Amino acid sequence: MENISWGLEMTVLGMGLVFSLLILLWLLLMIVLKLDKGDEPEESGQEADEQAATVEAERIAAVAGGAVGAQTPERPTVNGMPADLVAAILVAAHKHRQTMRRQAAPLARAVWPGSQLFASRWLATGRARQINDWQPRGK
Amino acid sequence: MIDQEMIGALLKGVNGVTWQALVMIAISFVLFYLAIVKDYEPLLLLPIGAGCMLANLPLSPLMDKHGMLTILYEAGVGNELYPLLIFIGIGALTDFGPLLENPKFVLLGAAGQFGIFLTLLLALALGFKRNEAASIGIIGAIDGPTSIYVSGILAKHMLGPITVAAYSYMSLVPIIMPPVIYALTTKEERAIRMPYSQRRISRRTRIMFPIIVTVVIGTLVPFATPLIGMLMLGNLMKESGAVERLTKASSNEIANMVTLFLGLAIGSTMVGVEFLKTQTLFILVLGLLAFGLDCAAGVCFAKLLNWLSGGKVNPIIGAAGISAFPMAARVCQRLAQRENFDNFLLMHAMGANAAGQIASVVAGGVVLALMGAG
Repeated sequence: MENISWGLEMTVLGMGLVFSLLILLWLLLMIVLKLDKGDEPEESGQEADEQAATVEAERIAAVAGGAVGAQTPERPTVNGMPADLVAAILVAAHKHRQTMRRQAAPLARAVWPGSQLFASRWLATGRARQINDWQPRGK
Repeated sequence: MIDQEMIGALLKGVNGVTWQALVMIAISFVLFYLAIVKDYEPLLLLPIGAGCMLANLPLSPLMDKHGMLTILYEAGVGNELYPLLIFIGIGALTDFGPLLENPKFVLLGAAGQFGIFLTLLLALALGFKRNEAASIGIIGAIDGPTSIYVSGILAKHMLGPITVAAYSYMSLVPIIMPPVIYALTTKEERAIRMPYSQRRISRRTRIMFPIIVTVVIGTLVPFATPLIGMLMLGNLMKESGAVERLTKASSNEIANMVTLFLGLAIGSTMVGVEFLKTQTLFILVLGLLAFGLDCAAGVCFAKLLNWLSGGKVNPIIGAAGISAFPMAARVCQRLAQRENFDNFLLMHAMGANAAGQIASVVAGGVVLALMGAG
């Protein structure tokens, strides 16, 4: 009986101590995480300054652009779309077709596999990984 | 001339065979089976089985005063060196990130140690001495090195069965945990989703964590300093990234070498005459009970948190508050997915599991402090 009461005492004391210590650790961790978070507003404050500067620069550019635009002739259009945009779409479509042809089945390929003129995405990724064989510190 | 004396000398080995030794050799075969066929903690159970077999072979020179097994035992088990070296490796392999993202889970780790003290009570009721009962209870930490460290100080004569129980039950986590969780939770509770919001943990915090834990725990519970100090040293090396070679050595070469030595040395304590007692059976049963009670206490505490938070905590993760890292967390994830395939609890369970790792070490230190060891 004496042993059992000693055991009960141990249980209460032991679990009490384990819980108290870990609660203390929890509080300390919260403080550390809070302090760590405390550094972020500084960064975000800097970011806010940068953003404000960008907005101001855009405003000035818009005013300047308007002033210049007033003196330049109207931009040409194709079916209601700006001509330079249509040209960009055409170039993109042509490039895409070329790429698709290079990656197509052997019969339709413009460049033979292994050619130094063209690297498929698969090959390019492999080469890039081999060249950039680095690992961030602590990872 | 062949005389009686020569025949006696030649048959010395055969004459030295005892039934206890034969039973122990059979037990070593069971350990080999578990390690090789069943793949249960093979890294430790295989060397333990080998140590057990070698120690029980008749007149084994390995067990002499200058025998290899005796030297290994005295070099690292008698002075608690091996478990501490293993702890450096564990620290280097453990990611405390999930715990840092959810620091409140340290409470689940604390709840997961309740079985230690309940088992201590049961062991006392069964007539074990106080130091023996405390050593048996520590199996409930489900943390091999902590069990070895604590029982090595409190009850060296019970080191063999306690270590075998601790490591065997660690490997049986996927078998022991699910029934306990199913018995204590409803289908709805197991299906609770816990949204995961990743918090950015800076490298500075990750480096500060092991230092703070060591200083705080080491100051408040000096008995836990060796365990927590080595665990956190390994983690500091990993997180700092400054000593990559040492980190790799601790988690690979040193850990592997020490595991082999530890296994052989522990196996050598399983000598038939001392091992085959009713006491050993009690230790194995009580160890199993301690494990079950730990899981149950963790689940019950998580249920309490679930109630307090208005149904936001899945009680399954409470079971991960034990120390078996990371297997306990993986079992929790699997059980949650069984109810709802899209339910991902893994990171929450890993947080609770990492907390259990620290809590088991703290509990070990608290037990030693309360027992006035040292």
